[in-house]
Amino acid sequence: MHDAEPLPVDLDGVVKRYGRRTVLDSVTCEVRPGITGLVGPNGAGKSTLVRAILGLVRLAAGGVRVFGHDPVRVPAVVRQLVGVVPEDECAVPGLAAVEMVRYAGRLSGLPGTEALRRAHEVLDWCDAGQERYRPVETLSIGVRQKVAFAAALVHDPRLLILDEPTNGLDPLERRAMLGRLRTLAHDHGKTVLISTHVLPDVQAVCDRVIVLAAGRVRLAGTIEDLTRPARPRLRLELRGDTAACCARLAAAGIAAERIDAVTLHIPRQDQGGLDRVWQATREAGVVVAALAPVQERFEDVFIAAIAGCREGQHAAS
Amino acid sequence: MPLHDVGYRAWQGARRGPWSAAAAIATTGIRLVWTSRWLRRAVLLAWSPALAFAASFFAFEQAIDEGRIASLQERAALGRNLDGIGLLGTILADTLGKPGQPDRAEPPRDREAETAATRRLVWSRLLLAFMRAPQAVLLAIVIGLVAPQLVSRDLRAKAWLVYFTRPVGKIHYIAGKIAVLGTVVAAVTVLPALALWLAGVLVSPSVWVIVETWDLPVRIVAASVVLAIPTVLLALAYSSLTAETRIASFAWFATWAACWIAHSSLTTADLVAADDSRATAVAAGSEDDEEWQPPRRRMNWLARAAGIDAGVDRWAWISPYHAVGVVQAWMFGVETRPRAVVPSAVALAIASLGSALVLAWRVAAPLRS
Repeated sequence: MHDAEPLPVDLDGVVKRYGRRTVLDSVTCEVRPGITGLVGPNGAGKSTLVRAILGLVRLAAGGVRVFGHDPVRVPAVVRQLVGVVPEDECAVPGLAAVEMVRYAGRLSGLPGTEALRRAHEVLDWCDAGQERYRPVETLSIGVRQKVAFAAALVHDPRLLILDEPTNGLDPLERRAMLGRLRTLAHDHGKTVLISTHVLPDVQAVCDRVIVLAAGRVRLAGTIEDLTRPARPRLRLELRGDTAACCARLAAAGIAAERIDAVTLHIPRQDQGGLDRVWQATREAGVVVAALAPVQERFEDVFIAAIAGCREGQHAAS
Repeated sequence: MPLHDVGYRAWQGARRGPWSAAAAIATTGIRLVWTSRWLRRAVLLAWSPALAFAASFFAFEQAIDEGRIASLQERAALGRNLDGIGLLGTILADTLGKPGQPDRAEPPRDREAETAATRRLVWSRLLLAFMRAPQAVLLAIVIGLVAPQLVSRDLRAKAWLVYFTRPVGKIHYIAGKIAVLGTVVAAVTVLPALALWLAGVLVSPSVWVIVETWDLPVRIVAASVVLAIPTVLLALAYSSLTAETRIASFAWFATWAACWIAHSSLTTADLVAADDSRATAVAAGSEDDEEWQPPRRRMNWLARAAGIDAGVDRWAWISPYHAVGVVQAWMFGVETRPRAVVPSAVALAIASLGSALVLAWRVAAPLRS
């Protein structure tokens, strides 16, 4: 019998307080291989959670394991395994972009020449072009983001943590950046944790999502699971008299909910039920443009998840 | 797609330990500070006093070579003025005219031994004067140009995340920054002083001078360490206290100036009090007015820097410049009185320790939340 591979990140009852304010409140969750989105409103505790993973904050309670290592006890081991793209622009003024990436490699233990070779290689992959020879403080936000990404990757970490990775990127660059994340996760076996507000980014690339609000994990799981409605329903898009169709469906014993002028939601049906639906639409004289299971929008799920805590916050204040 | 884009590739090579990160911080830091035109000028300027001191070495060795030391000694013993050859004359007058100096406690048995002992003392005093007078001041200026930005710039640019999200501990970070300043100290004090010693060896009549003066390079390094530790730690502590480089610079120069002024004021007050008490004693008829003069008033700055001062500077500990000078004099064997050395050494140790604690506390501040 061999030991199971330790999880990339395993948080168990993590509590972090700043004075009397609890920023992380019994956070228990895990980051599995693949791409995980860490989403939440401002002040949810995302950045603090990232710092806890890196062992940069003292916890009031609970524990963190990164590939089985405690980041408080062996921070150097953990930080060898992790690459971080911080949200804040953080660079050493005066260094050219390629020197900055090389410097990051040397700080992570790469020999000088090898760090330079890797820096060029990763910047090539990030499509940094000749901008790499300009001082970092003179670069545009988009190129700075690429440089920060390259600096996080230069030492080939197993876990990549990105804080708002698509900030300041134009749509093409954003798409390219998300493509790189997919490549890293799916082709190179990296674990990627993205902390972001941009829900379309999360939906585009994330395998799993952790929704954090007011320091607590509100939701965690795959996007598919999270957007699956509690009551399985079908979405019926019609062309014709929707009200008449509603009446026919009711007569056939199927409760239809009218969403808009052309859309109805009905409970999920077995084959017999579907036959009755087709019969009712024929009798109502409408054309069925679409019939598909209802999936909740991730944005709605997210808003519903954080709404409760916001109401709680308002009540408390 | 760029021609050389080979896609993302894993990296399997061996990684170095965290001290390689400290080396990276040091080398990159040195390269960055060296881009300052003002620093390059200041370091170049720092080598110019060495030329003047090299002339003194040459003049002294020439006097030995021409056998003029004996006549100089006679003139010095008669109290004649040797100031015709500047600082060297003052040093020679003090060295040759006052047998029984600490390093010459044993009377020399022959002329060669006497010459060797004289050379050691003269070289020591010249090197001490070189390190205390021009180099210490230049070093304060150079450190003031370099140090304030070392940590404060990282604070301002939030570059601490560059370091502490990687396997870099605060001790490695601090060591890297200290190495940057250590290199500057070496460029301004150690290397010119060693070059001066080497120049002395080259202009001396015999290569055996190396054997006679082998310990001087060691003393130069030790004296530079004494100079470097408190100044570097204090400058970095100031730099770590603010994200504004100019505030750290101001604090650095203000400390040196304020402590110098305080030292001068207290010393002057002592001299005035001594004058008053002397005048009172003369008026009472218990002392003769003709013989006495305050010794420190007759010494110029360079001569005092060479350790030619009979009195104990009891306020030296209050000023970093003077405290470092006293301990450096002890390192060169010129000052041996514990009551002169201990207060300054203790003051420097306390200042260094306090600065190191502040630095460690501030550097770890982002990690302490």
